[in-house]
Amino acid sequence: MAEEFNTESMLDMFLYESGQLLEKLEGIILEKQDADCFDDADINEIFRVMHTIKGSSGVLMYENITKVTHKLEDVFYYLRESHPDDVPHMELVEKVLAVSDFVTGELDKLKNGDTPDGDEKQLVEDLDEFLGRLKGEIKKQGIQMPQANKHVEPTQFYITPVAGDDSHFYRISIHYRSDTQMSNLRAYSATYALKEVAEDLLYTPDDILSNEASADVIVAEGFHMLLQTKSTKEEVIALIDSSEAEEINFDELSKEEYGRALGEFGREEAEPVAAAPASAKGDENKEAKKEGPKPGDYVVKTKEAGKGKTLAKNQPKQQSIISVNVEKMDALMDLIGELVIAEAVVLQNPDLKVPGLELSNFQKASGQLSKITTELQEVIMSMRMMPLTNTFQKMRRIVFDVSRKLGKDIELEVVGENTEVDKNIIEHITDPLMHLVRNSVDHGIEEDPADRTAVGKPSKGKITLEAKNEGGKVYISVKDDGKGLNKEKLYQKALDKGLIENKPINEFTDKEIFRFITLPGFSTKEEVTEYSGRGVGMDVVVKNIQSISGRLDISSVEFEGSEMTLVIPLTLAIINGIVVQVGNSPFVIETASIKEFVRVGEDSLISEPSGEEYIVLRGECYPFIRLNERYDLPDSNDKIEEGIIVVLEHEGSQVCVLIDKLLQEQEIVVKPIPPYVRKVKGLSGCTQLGDGSIALILDIAGLLLHDGERR
Amino acid sequence: MAEDFMKKEETDEMEELLEDDSQKGMFMTFQIGKELFGISISYVNEIIAMQSIAAIPEVDDYIKGLINLRGKIIPVIDVRVRFKMEPCEYTDRTCIIVIDVKSTMIGLIVERLADVDTIAEDSIAPPPSLGRKEHEHNKYVYGLARTGDTVTLLLDPEKLIKQDDIVTAMEEVRKEEQS
Repeated sequence: MAEEFNTESMLDMFLYESGQLLEKLEGIILEKQDADCFDDADINEIFRVMHTIKGSSGVLMYENITKVTHKLEDVFYYLRESHPDDVPHMELVEKVLAVSDFVTGELDKLKNGDTPDGDEKQLVEDLDEFLGRLKGEIKKQGIQMPQANKHVEPTQFYITPVAGDDSHFYRISIHYRSDTQMSNLRAYSATYALKEVAEDLLYTPDDILSNEASADVIVAEGFHMLLQTKSTKEEVIALIDSSEAEEINFDELSKEEYGRALGEFGREEAEPVAAAPASAKGDENKEAKKEGPKPGDYVVKTKEAGKGKTLAKNQPKQQSIISVNVEKMDALMDLIGELVIAEAVVLQNPDLKVPGLELSNFQKASGQLSKITTELQEVIMSMRMMPLTNTFQKMRRIVFDVSRKLGKDIELEVVGENTEVDKNIIEHITDPLMHLVRNSVDHGIEEDPADRTAVGKPSKGKITLEAKNEGGKVYISVKDDGKGLNKEKLYQKALDKGLIENKPINEFTDKEIFRFITLPGFSTKEEVTEYSGRGVGMDVVVKNIQSISGRLDISSVEFEGSEMTLVIPLTLAIINGIVVQVGNSPFVIETASIKEFVRVGEDSLISEPSGEEYIVLRGECYPFIRLNERYDLPDSNDKIEEGIIVVLEHEGSQVCVLIDKLLQEQEIVVKPIPPYVRKVKGLSGCTQLGDGSIALILDIAGLLLHDGERR
Repeated sequence: MAEDFMKKEETDEMEELLEDDSQKGMFMTFQIGKELFGISISYVNEIIAMQSIAAIPEVDDYIKGLINLRGKIIPVIDVRVRFKMEPCEYTDRTCIIVIDVKSTMIGLIVERLADVDTIAEDSIAPPPSLGRKEHEHNKYVYGLARTGDTVTLLLDPEKLIKQDDIVTAMEEVRKEEQS
């Protein structure tokens, strides 16, 4: 079946839609995690989500997803219909999250091009058992059980057009809500469901799978089916997916009317009539009992369809977000960068510098132009920005999971989740942040609530997740009101493990002591737990944060709690740099890594016989690199008095670099060096300067490494 | 604006389809030293005037550096130096042919452009290999084309930018990513 139509676009849509639905689902669940039960609206919503995913996954033949979502749908169907009391809410929440995780996992597999082969049996059994228990409770209370939502097995694909004695004939029209996505798939799932009971089934539009445009037709004009079946009206209605339907018209037809209707649907009347004699008697009865609909009905329906169309136009909000390929965004950004440079070339054109030239109109116009280009730059930057909402949502989930596993009572407060950060950065901070949150739940908050009340804190632990944007940096902090860090313990531990120099504790500042926990191989937790404490955590966090030129600040007061703050740049694409010149080549050094500029005399220079050189500054000795020698740059000065020494720092080690002169400080757009050129140690990228020329960006880490290798 | 952009892409694709036919046998010819060289026009993106080049340290001498092509940073190589000839001064006639080989954009510095010629397939002969296999130049030249009195040496751009350069560079990039 899958080969008949273009599965790829359907798959994309399925992944996108299901992903969105699952996010929504998780949002509902976590919002209500502390409530006693779900209210009707939530139950309906969850039911609808499950139903939709079930339907789409069924069409795409992902059976494990279908089965699991179907089971959960059953549970919620039951909740919706019988409103049982005493639902174990926590357990239900866990079940929903388990299903959501399972489906998310399968969707990830699909995204990576794998087959969704997760084993659903255990989950289905759990849900069955859960549902059984729910029902058991109800039976005791003597309330009538609703009919279970019948699962549609994808078995039959053919239709037998033989009308038996007891066949019924229906005309079914489904009108979907105007914002329904993939209505063609929904329509298909309806036909799919009906095929199981159908003796004959016809529908328009009839190309729902092969023609994607049919989705629009269905939304606009409704989806019409002619059905011949032995099932009763109620059974048929139960089979049809009504989740997105605005209205379903259901008419029973007589045999003759059915024949006529077949003509409307584009099939020759003769075909079904051939089987008619056998069922003539039954038809007469039915005709006597019930008047079929007049042909006019059909016309009325098309009028309603017209209504649907105008409705669709009145709801433009659904389409207000489009997804754009990142490459196109980057191309746009490049173009805008180029535009800014071109603008500078025009406005500072030497031709304008003729003395006595009247330029007031030109100045006015150019001012306007600059304003627009600046604005344009801001807009494109803001387009790359995304709020942290989703990331924080994940953190909610982690706090929920871990605190429950550990049996701790913890509330999470989220502040500033709308803070916007560059998309690339969000990808980089999710893992570190997850680790910090886990640490806070696991190590931060006391295990025994009595320990908390003893020092005058409420027994319920509190973790605050806060994001704010300040001075071009984003601060994301994870704060807990737990036991805090014990300085002596940290010091002793670091000493025992040989991670620090043997100095008395009072020679370290508080900050330095707290930073011990970020040393590789350090873990203060005596026992390794499932969630943290493997000792590989904090140093990895720090490394990840450093890779996006951010840093981790730690502050803590014992018995009052600790606060871990990630300080990260707003965007990766732009760094603040200082442009320097060596010989004829400009280089850029990131401002953050520059400690100072100094000018020293020949007497500060120490030369080893091996050729190594050192600079002595205020009694400290630093390695010295002459950039012109390192990179064989012509026309540069060799005299240390005439150049400028830049002291650079990276992760605690320092190096002095000799340059010719400073040019300017500016924000630069980082670009990679084309891969055709072999990677050069000590260079991390390149950028274009205001005049369009290219400057290379110095990579301090690479420079230090290179220096070390040479020794 | 955005629509125009899309439209442009579509027409580009169309052109590409058409180009396959119309560009066949068309060669951009340029002069280096006394010889005339040709490169299939399907590789050529554009031709730009000589501009300031940012030198990169620690690379092969024929890689002259990076240029800024409308915000795109691409490496340029000096074809003369690549052919192990003495480098010559860049003049007004010196220009850069921007070629696209397997989605790698590279600029070729050539002394002067000659023409765009159509060269019939039957006039292309393989280079004579009279015991001159050790001669470096030949490996970039896959054919000799005779038009009238002149002989054009046809270059294989993939070999010209030296495949192993790209391979090693790519490998290094990959290693970087892994570490």
